[in-house]
Amino acid sequence: MTELSKIRNFSIVAHIDHGKSTLADRLLEETNTVDKREMEEQILDNMELERERGITIKARAVKLNYRADDGEDYVLNLIDTPGHVDFNYEVSRSLTACEGAVLVVDASQGIEAQTLANTYLAIDAGLEVLPVVNKIDLPAARPQEVKQEIEDIIGLPALDAPEISAKNGINIHSVLEMIVKEVPPPKGDREAPLQALIFDSQYDSYRGVVVYMRVMNGVVRPGMDVKMMASGAVYKVVECGYLHPKGMVPAEALGAGEVGYLTASIKTIADTRVGDTVTGAENPAAEPLPGYKTCQPMVFSGVYPADGSKYGDLRDALEKLKLNDASMYYTQENSIALGFGFRCGFLGLLHMEIIMERLEREFNLDLITTAPNVVYEIDKTDGSHIEVYTPLNYPDPMEIAQAYEPYVKASIIAPPDYVGNIMDLCQFRRGEFKDMSYLDQSRVELHYEIPLNEIIYDFFDALKSRTRGYGSLDYELIGYRPSKLVKLDILLNGELVDALSFILFADEAYARARRICEKLKENIPRQMFEIPVQAAIGGKIIARETIKALRKDVLAKCYGGDITRKKKLLEKQKEGKKRMRTFGTVSVPSEAFMAVLKMDE
Amino acid sequence: MNELKPLGIYIHIPFCRSKCQYCDFYSIGGSRDRRLVDHYLQSLAEHFKETGARATDYIVDTVYFGGGTPSFFGADNLRRIFAELQHRFRVDKEAEITFEANPDSVSESLLKKLRAEGFNRMSLGVQSDRDDVLQKLGRPHSFEQARQAVQMARVCGFENVSLDLMYGLPNQTLPQWEETLRHVLRLKPEHMSCYGLKVEEGTPLWEYKDAANLPSDEVQADMYLSTVEILEEAGYRQYEISNFARPGYESRHNLKYWLGDEYIGFGPAAASDFAGKRYTNNADIGNYIRGVLKQDVSILSECDAIPARERAGEYVMLRLRTTRGISPEEYEKNYLMPFEPLQDVIQPLADKGLFVQNNGRWILTPRGFLVSNQIIGRLQEAQEQSEPLAKKR
Repeated sequence: MTELSKIRNFSIVAHIDHGKSTLADRLLEETNTVDKREMEEQILDNMELERERGITIKARAVKLNYRADDGEDYVLNLIDTPGHVDFNYEVSRSLTACEGAVLVVDASQGIEAQTLANTYLAIDAGLEVLPVVNKIDLPAARPQEVKQEIEDIIGLPALDAPEISAKNGINIHSVLEMIVKEVPPPKGDREAPLQALIFDSQYDSYRGVVVYMRVMNGVVRPGMDVKMMASGAVYKVVECGYLHPKGMVPAEALGAGEVGYLTASIKTIADTRVGDTVTGAENPAAEPLPGYKTCQPMVFSGVYPADGSKYGDLRDALEKLKLNDASMYYTQENSIALGFGFRCGFLGLLHMEIIMERLEREFNLDLITTAPNVVYEIDKTDGSHIEVYTPLNYPDPMEIAQAYEPYVKASIIAPPDYVGNIMDLCQFRRGEFKDMSYLDQSRVELHYEIPLNEIIYDFFDALKSRTRGYGSLDYELIGYRPSKLVKLDILLNGELVDALSFILFADEAYARARRICEKLKENIPRQMFEIPVQAAIGGKIIARETIKALRKDVLAKCYGGDITRKKKLLEKQKEGKKRMRTFGTVSVPSEAFMAVLKMDE
Repeated sequence: MNELKPLGIYIHIPFCRSKCQYCDFYSIGGSRDRRLVDHYLQSLAEHFKETGARATDYIVDTVYFGGGTPSFFGADNLRRIFAELQHRFRVDKEAEITFEANPDSVSESLLKKLRAEGFNRMSLGVQSDRDDVLQKLGRPHSFEQARQAVQMARVCGFENVSLDLMYGLPNQTLPQWEETLRHVLRLKPEHMSCYGLKVEEGTPLWEYKDAANLPSDEVQADMYLSTVEILEEAGYRQYEISNFARPGYESRHNLKYWLGDEYIGFGPAAASDFAGKRYTNNADIGNYIRGVLKQDVSILSECDAIPARERAGEYVMLRLRTTRGISPEEYEKNYLMPFEPLQDVIQPLADKGLFVQNNGRWILTPRGFLVSNQIIGRLQEAQEQSEPLAKKR
């Protein structure tokens, strides 16, 4: 165990793409935590998807040993955090395990929406926030201005902030020194009963659940009986230790102030809820540590196997994925069109995309995802109040007294030139303008209150394209407001396909219905007969398109040498059909279910 | 002695004057290198010898020289091959002996020699009646040459001449195509093959297909329907998706492919369906020569024993190309599979005019032929889900 005064627990916060993971890489190198030979980019982002997309999805911790300029050896625990707004809850979790946060700001981009959001999260968590200006070697770098921005906008002293280039390893040493000098050492009493905060957990098929925790008080060691205070479950600790980028390093004990893991042959991840407190079974703490707000899924979508017989595989895959992603929610759902599947809840669209991609990749599944929706609330005429998670359960209009939809407070930061475009976009998405302020001459922050439904799908893309990539977005849920809602149904060849139904704002229904019919026409391949595509509200048709009949799909020549080829062609056709679902006589490719949602072209 | 089984022989001649822009057959453009030709003739002879020994209970009733351009390969070479074939296989006196020809390599002397040898059917690549189009497609001949080639064939005693045409060509319109058809009909062929141009990956045409102003699928579909109509009117009966003949002049060799009869292919890229196996020779002449003469490499690129169930799928896929169609009795008897699931697919399609029933057989209509890939796909799906009759009982 390391003396408390020699421990520094910190995380790095930043807007996405400002260089957080790269700085983490350099800190690992500079402290020789990882051999230069073993070094790879984004080393902490060990999920394949994270590396491909260049983003951090999950928080991770790692222990660095550092001999500072004062000649003393320090242990620096770095807890990496995601940058995307969908994963804000991961950030807050990580922050409670730290005493300090290094705030990385891009020297050319300056402060952006998530710089602010994440900084406030850190300040609220009582952390010492230490600004660092990154990418100073870029031609467009303006470190002095950016420092001034940090002082003016956030109110943090920044004039002495290290100017670094994480990419090229410039001034990394000064960051380490700053951490040692400025981040307060952890407080805690190692004689007191054990209190350790679970900030993450992961399922390992050999060890069971691996619990990542920050010890606040007391000591934990192998052989000790521990109790999860919220669930009451008791386990004997098999192993505890420190976290290294290449794996886990067992230790004799973990004491207050330290960050590490424990395993205890835990089979049910539900017993180790993130935010729960681990205490000693024999000498328990009087009360648990303050936990986290449980994260609420904001976006729900129907997830079905493309091949109906794979329902069991999908269920198993979701169960396994849930072990490592507590933020995901799912429950069984039954669609007339698609059969058995699940209604899944996600933190946002990126989160949804990632889960889908992991399901398809890691579990080799072909999936059909229905249009994502938010959770609506409804007062029924019989006086009851319900929450609607899926269009399948949307009540008959006659039973609805009042419908409500969730709103968010959106903060958008962009150069002033684009204010007009942003206002147009927000207005089009039913946003209510709140206020606008100049962060400095080159940046404006706008606040809008917008229905969540309007931003979940492609709002961010639309914002990026209307601001030439400069706009940044952050949002938080502010509650429900009365709204006029309708359920739009889609009929193919006269038959209602329930999986294509969705809920939307009544005034938009006509325009959207037309757009959706057009989209379906584009996305459903021509078939042997003409297919009418209709959109209806409560049985009344409000839009119609026709998919013309396929005229020609024939192999003109088929002699001896062509037969094997033709057979392969038919095989391929069959494979293609597996990605389609057939409703009556109409085959619909799985992409069509999502394509109907792209409304901003 | 048992009765002899009929056998078709295909011989691939992978030599051409030049490669056409759309062609994805295996052939060598521009070359008739003497050494290569000699080696090739030698390997064919060797291959005949070896295979002939395994086909003693067969009688060859069709021979087809395809290419490539057999006429460009020359009469003497073709004669030598045919003589060698007759030496190793029992060839029926009444056999249909076809050779493919291009107008630029047809001469009276070639035709006379071949006719004297027993060749009795010429399949001529005409493709279009417009010289500018022929030139664009990379065809080394004019329409006038095609006309003369047909005349010469008649003079030399060929009573069975087939002409190949293509529609769906760059810049082509429906009226133009109809005009081409009428124009070509004046040459009074016994047989016509009309193919929709298919742009294949790897051909020069593929590279500029987007700029080639190809007629849309809609227009091509109309061209096809119009072809059937015009040719029927002129006395040519459609007997396969792309093939039309005066009564009695259907290509007996090509029918074997669609009726599931046995054939053996010689030469690179040639395919066989013989003794329960489907196999294809490697598409490389060097590999073929070496494989046959030195026997140190395999000449096959693919070889599958086809199980009965798969044969049932082939039956549907190939028979439905022809106007003989498929018969419930034949199907149940030969493959011991129930026809009922297929009937369930066919009936609604018949109601929409894509199938007709004739003497108990189901036949695709011209509109049905146009979407036959889709229909065959559906039928095979129904097949896969059905249990064999034998098990049911």
